[in-house]
Amino acid sequence: MARFLAHAAAVAAKDLRLEMRSRERIVSMGVFAVLVAVVFSFALDPTIRARGIAGAMIWVTVLFAGTLGLGRSFALEAEQDALQGLLLSPVDRGALFLGKFAANLVIVLGVELVVFPVYALFFGLDFRGSPAALAGVVGLATVGFMLLGTLFAAMSAHTRLGDTLLPILLLPLLLPVVIFAASATQRLLVGRPPSEVMSAVKVLAAFDLLYLLVCTWAFGHVVEE
Amino acid sequence: MDTEPQSLRGTRTAAAVLALLAAAGVLAALYMVFFYAPTETSMGIVQRIFYVHVPSAWVAFMAFGIVALCSLGYLWLRDERLDAIAVSAAELGTVFTTIVLLTGPLWGRIAWGAWWVWEPRLTLTLLLWFIYVGYFMLRGAAESAERGKRFAAVLGIVGAVDIPLIHLSVQWFRSQHPKPVILRPEGPTADPEIVQTLLVSLLAFTLLFFALLLYRYGLERLRARVEAARLRAADARPAAPIEGAFR
Amino acid sequence: MTTVDAGSATAPAVEARQVEKRYGPVPALRGVSFSLAAGEFLTLFGPNGAGKTTLLRILCGAVRPTRGSVHVEGEPVADGEGGWRRRIGLLSHQTFLYPGLSAAENLEFYAKLYDLPDRRALVERALEGVGLAERRGDLVRTFSRGMQQRLAVARTLLHDPAVVFLDEPYTGLDPHAAAMLNRTLARLRDERRTVVLVTHNLSQGLEMADRVAVQVRGRWISDEPRGSVDAAAFERVYTDRVAAAV
Repeated sequence: MARFLAHAAAVAAKDLRLEMRSRERIVSMGVFAVLVAVVFSFALDPTIRARGIAGAMIWVTVLFAGTLGLGRSFALEAEQDALQGLLLSPVDRGALFLGKFAANLVIVLGVELVVFPVYALFFGLDFRGSPAALAGVVGLATVGFMLLGTLFAAMSAHTRLGDTLLPILLLPLLLPVVIFAASATQRLLVGRPPSEVMSAVKVLAAFDLLYLLVCTWAFGHVVEE
Repeated sequence: MDTEPQSLRGTRTAAAVLALLAAAGVLAALYMVFFYAPTETSMGIVQRIFYVHVPSAWVAFMAFGIVALCSLGYLWLRDERLDAIAVSAAELGTVFTTIVLLTGPLWGRIAWGAWWVWEPRLTLTLLLWFIYVGYFMLRGAAESAERGKRFAAVLGIVGAVDIPLIHLSVQWFRSQHPKPVILRPEGPTADPEIVQTLLVSLLAFTLLFFALLLYRYGLERLRARVEAARLRAADARPAAPIEGAFR
Repeated sequence: MTTVDAGSATAPAVEARQVEKRYGPVPALRGVSFSLAAGEFLTLFGPNGAGKTTLLRILCGAVRPTRGSVHVEGEPVADGEGGWRRRIGLLSHQTFLYPGLSAAENLEFYAKLYDLPDRRALVERALEGVGLAERRGDLVRTFSRGMQQRLAVARTLLHDPAVVFLDEPYTGLDPHAAAMLNRTLARLRDERRTVVLVTHNLSQGLEMADRVAVQVRGRWISDEPRGSVDAAAFERVYTDRVAAAV
């Protein structure tokens, strides 16, 4: 088990080091997310109070920005066929998956650190009501998003359509995450007590646990040649 | 692999028998829908769509269960036959999901006064339809046929895990569907004629589904066999050993 | 110069039994069997599309065969982990390196995946071995093709594999880099590692080999000791009858 986690950590550290050097994903995703917020503020009728729909806007933004960056995760491995090198090494496929997933998770959480303040600034929102509950909801929802996202990015990397296919496969499956994350975020935003989002937190946690098992198992069948 | 040319005969016979049974079932169901079942009082004649809508939904979700089970088996055993069943079931599932999505709004127009309502079960079916579409896109776009089969199998399994979660979440989100009136614990509340007609329709659609599944499966196997024969013909002369030619 | 521990004395280093691979109905390999003793150097020739790369990938456990089996030092090559993974190395014309990492970072990453002890010193030695010690901190992106291939050699041998597979390693190398690769191959042979070299390069492939095999359309049509192969005759027969027949 210690070896398993050490291998996962090595893969994640490698991906994060590459990202820290190039900053290609965090920058493109962050800029895209801010632009979506700008587009929203002009596309919405001025009489609509953004506070009433901010939860939905934020999660749509995160979903699209996150999907945008996921494709790069496996492009890194394709450049010199490094994935082949990883698969030859005595590393469990599950550890490989968890490493790729962890790196994607950190990067998207970084993008969310941009998205939330930008929405607060553009639409005059206040997220300081119950920060712990908000962090819990955002964290759990992002974990679920990235578990499925990493698995399907590995698949779409090996198709002719490439990243075009990714949102088509991913969005229907992510509906549960979107529903619970957006509604919980919305409630916390309008100052409802954290106890009201407990059911959402529980469902998101169950979703994460289920997909942790399913995706870690399925990854071996995806990367095999 | 395809070594037994006889093995499809059983499939064809079973498909023909099922097709006859399905034809009889569908005729019986049609007769009951139009001449036996009474017109429902509150919704009127349009309620008869229900005898197509509900069995189609049942078959569509059953198809998805078959896709998931065969996909699991395929990843485990790598038996081409399991993949052939999965892809056949997925195709039929898409057809029946489409029927649900077409008949639902026709009924909903009268029942709810709107063509489309974000009602949980209808939403779930719509998402099921998108997952089926993704299944075929992924399968077709993969770099090799073998990869496409594996990827589709993974999507089939992940989708089957996801469907209950989608169901749970859309249920939680909003519910305004007419509550089930047929199978309540305290017994059916609808007219017995309506219940009987629905049960016959369910049986007819199930038979129809399995008949089509067997035909489609036979076609898929036949296609693989033709492909194999074509390759064998193109490859008729094996490379001869040239032992000792380099001295 | 080190000599590699030959592993279990009885089992062959690599053994393939009736290996078949089909992609759908398309046969890529139709029953390849051979056995390599520890320290043997086999060169496998064959025209494009003969299934040589497929065979190598099956020997490495990257692709599962449709039928048949492969054993490395008596251990079955199968999906998942196994001691045999530590006993093999693969050098391809793709380097398996990350252009965005430095030379040392690349090797350290692979050292972690192989759970190698004393990583820093090991990586340092490996870089010196391929003459890249001064460039240890430079990103691989800035390296020439030849330098990248040298680093790939260091990556392949980092965990000291007893069996080394080489898949068209000359592709894209300039004469200088090819000469370096030849020295590496000679070293592998002197260190008594078991080698399977797949190449189009007739003269270089023949020079090193103990044993020469030819694969055409998924079958081995020839498998002979180097001693019974005359280089000039081989070149003539190969270009006339093998390469032309496809």
